[in-house]
Amino acid sequence: MEDANTFDPDLVHAIFKLVWNRRALERERNEGADGLDIQVGAGASKKNRPTYANANALKLSCELLRIFVTEAVQRAATIAEAEGVSKIEATHLERILPQLLLDF
Amino acid sequence: MEADGAGSDVEREDESVIELLRDRFRLLTISIAEAQAKRNDLEISLPIAACIADLAFKYTEQLAKDLELFAQHASRKSINMEDVILSAHRNEHLATSLRSFCTDLKSKEAQSERKRKKPSRKEDKATTSVVHIPDN
Repeated sequence: MEDANTFDPDLVHAIFKLVWNRRALERERNEGADGLDIQVGAGASKKNRPTYANANALKLSCELLRIFVTEAVQRAATIAEAEGVSKIEATHLERILPQLLLDF
Repeated sequence: MEADGAGSDVEREDESVIELLRDRFRLLTISIAEAQAKRNDLEISLPIAACIADLAFKYTEQLAKDLELFAQHASRKSINMEDVILSAHRNEHLATSLRSFCTDLKSKEAQSERKRKKPSRKEDKATTSVVHIPDN
């Protein structure tokens, strides 16, 4: 059974942390511009501590991403099959994209 | 402008880290996409698979933002499974399938914890385990 094809939780975690750190930096920068003396310790204030992810939440996120990719390919495959072609091309992807983005 | 000098160094480092993550992500996505296409006896053109990979990467960044907002809204600092299930609210089937995956994960955790806490009762639990060791 080939169920081993899924995303790596560490990779997903790394991407999440990158986005969260970026947002935390932006928030710090924005707050710094507003009030220079009000913030006592920039990194220590409650709002600016970075977010963490639970291990099960990461596994679930990997599953969500896997379903995203699988759905995209599966829907495009259905269109390709209906046309009788043996290769999934750009036109197939284009047609399923709007509904895919609405569903996710 | 000089304060920005250090800032842009950090940004450049960030850029190369992002590129590395994006490449690894692309490789994984392409392998998942090709496996899925094969299940339908079809092939997927490589630029299209790369396109799906970039789309999935953008989706992951958006997901990170959403999860952080949900956790913050619940006055938490860490993301949990409920947040992930909530982010799938747009599609009922998706939410249901995630919820059942979640239940599976929880039951696997509960099973492994039971094994750790009560080692003497292994024989009693034999009937519920999936892996059978035939008694020849």
